[in-house]
Formats: sequence, C-alpha cells, structure tokens
Amino acid sequence: MDIGDLVTPASIVANLRVPNKRQALQELAKRAAQLTDQHERVIFDVLLERERLGSTGVGQGIAIPHGRIPGLTRLHGLFARLERPIPFESIDDQPVDLIFLLLAPTSAGADHLKALARISRLLRERAICEKLRGTDKADALYALLTDRAASHAA
Amino acid sequence: MESIGAANTFILLGALLVLAGIFSSLVATRFGAPLLFVFLGIGMLAGEDGLGRIRFDDLRLTYLVGSLALAVILFDGGLKTHLSSFRVALRPALMLATVGVAVTTLVAGGFAMLALGFTPLEGLLLGATVASTDAAAVFFLMRSGGLRINERVGMTLEIEAGTNDPVAIFLTLAIVQLMLAGSEGSAWAVAIQLAEEVVIGGTVGLVGGWGLSWLLNKASLPAGLQPVFVVTGAIFIFAFAAVAEGSGFLAVYLAGLVVGNRPMRGFQSVMAFNDAATWFAQIGMFLVLGLLVTPSQLVNYAVPALIVSAGLIFIARPLAVFLSLLPFRFTGREQTFISWVGLRGAVGIFLASIPLLSGIPKGGVYFNVAFFVVLVSLLVQGWTITPAAKRLGLALPTLRHPARRSELDLPGELEYELVGYAVPADSPVLHETAIPDWAKLAMVIRNNHVVLAADAGALRAGDHAYLLAAPWRAAQLDHLFAPPDEIADEDRGFFGEFTFRGDTTLAMLRDSYGIPVAADIADRTIAGLFAAARSKHPVVGDRLRIGEVMLIVQETQGDRVSLAGLELDPPEEKPPGPWLSRLQRVATRLRLR
Repeated sequence: MDIGDLVTPASIVANLRVPNKRQALQELAKRAAQLTDQHERVIFDVLLERERLGSTGVGQGIAIPHGRIPGLTRLHGLFARLERPIPFESIDDQPVDLIFLLLAPTSAGADHLKALARISRLLRERAICEKLRGTDKADALYALLTDRAASHAA
Repeated sequence: MESIGAANTFILLGALLVLAGIFSSLVATRFGAPLLFVFLGIGMLAGEDGLGRIRFDDLRLTYLVGSLALAVILFDGGLKTHLSSFRVALRPALMLATVGVAVTTLVAGGFAMLALGFTPLEGLLLGATVASTDAAAVFFLMRSGGLRINERVGMTLEIEAGTNDPVAIFLTLAIVQLMLAGSEGSAWAVAIQLAEEVVIGGTVGLVGGWGLSWLLNKASLPAGLQPVFVVTGAIFIFAFAAVAEGSGFLAVYLAGLVVGNRPMRGFQSVMAFNDAATWFAQIGMFLVLGLLVTPSQLVNYAVPALIVSAGLIFIARPLAVFLSLLPFRFTGREQTFISWVGLRGAVGIFLASIPLLSGIPKGGVYFNVAFFVVLVSLLVQGWTITPAAKRLGLALPTLRHPARRSELDLPGELEYELVGYAVPADSPVLHETAIPDWAKLAMVIRNNHVVLAADAGALRAGDHAYLLAAPWRAAQLDHLFAPPDEIADEDRGFFGEFTFRGDTTLAMLRDSYGIPVAADIADRTIAGLFAAARSKHPVVGDRLRIGEVMLIVQETQGDRVSLAGLELDPPEEKPPGPWLSRLQRVATRLRLR
C-alpha cells in the first residue's frame, strides 16, 4: 500500500485556516465531499462519530481522522497542513497542525486498516513531519507524501 | 600505636575499595554491564588471587556485612513498593516464593547430583542455596537503566524476590540440620519451624513498620536525623525479628512496605538517604563477597558449576515459574520474562557459606559452585534484562525528557508537599490539560517575580510553577510539565495507531473498522473485555488480540481500563509449540474449575 494510491495532487490542502477541531473536520468533510461525490453531511457525521470513541489526534501534532462511508468505491485520502495549530484533544495534549483524512468504503476491510497503519507509520517519522511543516506548496507536500525513497516504504 | 596504624590501613583499604566500586559504575554504565557483577569483580580483583593480594576469609564478618546490607536493601525495596501493586501481583508472587522455590530446589538439586556426584540430600542443599531470586539484584537491575516494565510482571518479580529469601534460607538451614543430625523423621518439625519464622517475622515486620512510621511522625526529630532514624529502625526490626527466631528478612521487607505506604514526615530526605544507603549496601556486600572467594579455587568447579547454572536457568526456573503461575493468567511472554529474570545474588552466596560455617563435609564445594552460579546469573541474565523485556514487548515506552520536578516538604504537614516545575514551551499544561483537582497551584515565579496563584492567570512558557499535592501523587503531575517529544522514536507506536476510551464497545469498533466481532461479545466494552479475557487487574501494556487487530492497555483507573490503543497491523504471533499449547489447555481447564 502506497500513499500515492490514496492521494492525488488535488487532495492536498497546503494552508488550511481553521480555528478549532470541529471546523477543521467540517472543512475537510466539505473538500472530501467534492473529491468523492458524497454528501458532506454524511462524511462529517461519520468523522464526528469516530472522534467520540477517542480523538484521532495521535500525538506530535498529527491527526488522522477516518471513517467508513457506504457509497465509496475505493479509499480516499486528503491531506491538510494547517496554517496555525489547533487543539484536537490529542493523546499527548499537543495542538495539531498536520491532518491526514482517510475515508474507506464499507467493503474495504483489511485494506482500510493497512492504509491507516501505513499513514500512521509515515507520519510518525519526525524528519518527514518537519519537511511537511516547512513548506506551504501543495505540489511539494504531495511529493513529500508520496516519495517512496524518503519514506522508505519497503 | 601499632593497632592504630593497622586501623588506619584498614580504613584506607576499605575506602579505596568502595571508591573503586563507585567509579567502576561509570565504566559499567558505559558498557551496560550489570553493576553488581562489577562490584563483585572488584572484590575478586582486590582479593588474594588478584592485584590487591588481600587475604580475607572471615566468614563471620562477611555474614555480618551481608545481613546488614540485605536488611537495608530489602527495606528499601518495601519502601518503594506501592500497595496498589500488591493487588496485581501478590498471589502469583507468593506462589513463586513457595512452590517456585521448592521446584527450583528439587530440579537444581538434581543437576547438582548429576554434575557433582552428590547424594540426593547434598544435591538438595545446593539446590536450596541457589533457589531464591535475589532481592538486591532484582530491585536494582530492574530499576536501574530507566527500564519501565509491565506492572504485573515487574511487581511479581519484585515481591517474589522480597519474599522468597526467607523460604530459601529456611530450606537451607533445615537441610543442614538434617545432615548434621541424621534424618530423624523431622519433616514435621521442619514445617512447623518454617511457619513460626513466617508468623513471627511477619508480625514483627508489620507492627515494627507501623511503630516506626508512628514514631517518625510523632517525635519532632531534627530534620537531619529523620532518615538515619528510619534506617536504624529498619535494622533494629530485622535484628529483633531474627533474635526472636522469626525471619528478619521478611520482617524488614514488610516494615519497609508499611512505612512507605503511610504518610511520612520528611518523605524526600528519607527516600534520598535510603537510596544512598542502598547503594552503599550493594557495593559493600558485593565487595566483601568478592573478597571472600578464592578465584583460583573457583575455576576448579567451572564445569560442574556451569552445568548447574544451565540447569537452573533453562530448566529449573522456567519449570518453577510455569508451575507456580498455572492458576493465574500470565501470557507466554510474561512467563518467559519472569523465568529469565530469575536473578541469583548475594543471598545465594551467603546461604552457601552456611555449610562452610557449620563444618559439613564438602562445605567448600557448595560455596564455590553457588558463587559461580551467581556470577553466571548476574552476567548472563543481568546483562540482558532490558533487551529481553523489549523483545518480549514488556518494556513500556520510556520518557526521553522527563519533567524536572523539585519537591519541598512542608513542616508538620503530611498530606501535602510543595512541588515545583519549570514550564517548558509546548508542555501540555500550556495547551489543553488542566491541573487536576487534587493539586493546587500555589504560586508562580515569572521573570524573577513571585506571583501568587490568584494573580498569575494561565501559566506561560518559562514560568516556574509551584503546586501543592500529596507526596504520593506528585509524580502524576510530571506529564503536564514534560516538554514535547517525550517519547523516544523507537517507542512510538507501542500503543498502536489510535486510542479509544475504555467504555467503547466492540460493536463500535466493528462499525468503524469492519473488524469481525462475534455477536455474543459485540456489546462488551473494551474495559469489560480486558477484565473478562485477560485479567481482573489489567495493567498498562496488556495486549489482547481481536481478529486481525490488537488492543493495548494505555491507561488504567484502579482495575478498569480507561484508555486502550488499537494496533491495526500487528505482527503475526507464532503459535506455541504443541507441548506448550497442550499444557496451556490443561491450565485453562484448571482455572475454569
């Protein structure tokens, strides 16, 4: 599973300006709705429902909100770099400024889990996150995320 | 005048040895060598076959130094054990301390018969001398090096080490008596004597510990004397129990436990002094034991001793652990680790000097073989504790930059102390996390000005915050003031990818991830599932596999899992070998009864 299978240059938001977690999710749901042709409301509700079980803020300023959307036919990723860090109820209480949203079809099963694990491993690497924080160009962010050599995808 | 000169020389030599021990710790940490082994080595180096050429064969002095040191070490171990840990580990630890010691004695005794041509009774005697895990070694080697171990496993090992010495000491003495008297059907008398030792030792320890902490809090001793009073009191309790024919070692451990779990005046200074005393005791004891042995004789027993060591490490201990833990739910990995950390130490060498002292035939053989076994154990097992814990997934993530906490006792006040923290940029307390109710912000030092809590408003980076909190809880504040990046790289992901509240039901996980969940457990919560399937006392780091994914306990409140991590893509686990899985099935059936 490569990150390149999940995102396209169109699914990168280089400089998202949102004041809080709720609006971040709302904004991401809106963009994901455009990408996937699904209802914004459905996506937002699924994400919110998932956050109730425990925040997807995994620490170190990273959040990976995710959920299963009935109408999808494949996995869709959406990456956003926030202009300013926001509180996200993260596990380490640090504010979040990098968000990778993943939506999966209900039939995705193991692929869904593998993709989440892959994203999580990538964003656990300090060096990658530093570079992602250091640029506000969408194409540069896309290159960083999908560069297999840099993320030693193995 | 001559005797004054001799005394000075003696002091000089002693101080030199201890200094060598202290500085060797620098070298040892560098190479990760087990410190206790290094201390022992320095003693041997200074001894008759080494550079120092010191002839030392005073068994009585050795016994005196060793007993004192052991009392201090056991007391310290008790002092640092929280009673809440007993909940998790007391029963398995007691099984290990009794059944475990018996099985180890039998099996190790068998190997001794094989390797040394001993009679069964002689074999048992050697088995008994090396049957107990060493409190000094276990406490010390597990706590040094910043290793954090799964609480159930760590506490089982520590409580076992604190309580099994009396059993081994007793077995050894009983067998020696049998040998001296010839066997006169005294098994019954032996059992009664053991019970007596435990009851007397236990009573003296509990009452003495309570009295000690009462006196400490009641009498207004000068602050400098408080810690000295505590240590001396502990030694008194040890000696009193022993003179009253109870187990002094059990008594002093229990006394430490009582004192450590009651509110205490001068908590900080007592703990600091005890730390120092324990270090000194470790160095002193192992130096003296190293001096006592004659390495050139030791070598003669290398082959049989290696056979006994291997038998002990690879067969006797694992078997003892497996049988002792049958009634409890320990995973294979936990059992493997507990088996591996069957560290032998000073007690073994001590016990092996009893045959020598009592003039039993082959007394020297026991001593040298036991000494060798302890050396091997410290070297092989002591050196590998941390890698073993990591490999078995039982080492919890360590904090890379822990918060810096300073503490100040409040005179006459037992329930609160003043704790101070520097507030680093980006520490959690600056963002979302509030200071818990049980701690009160007292004042802030900001730009070199003292600001009272009421005027300070929100904390800022660069502040020094001072809070009032109960001494036993203060450490829980650390994470609020820890700088970010607190988890070392290799530990990230230890708790999986995502974190869930303990009241999340499996149905919710199924709906969010499509994880197959059997219908009959779908409405169970994560907390409920751990309680039912894993342990009544779940601890941080416990794992539970559900189909393809793994749940890992991340935080507990009492006996309830409050946060659990979800690992989405855990590595496949190797199924246990056929004989092991059969034994495990038997164990499960026994538990179900």
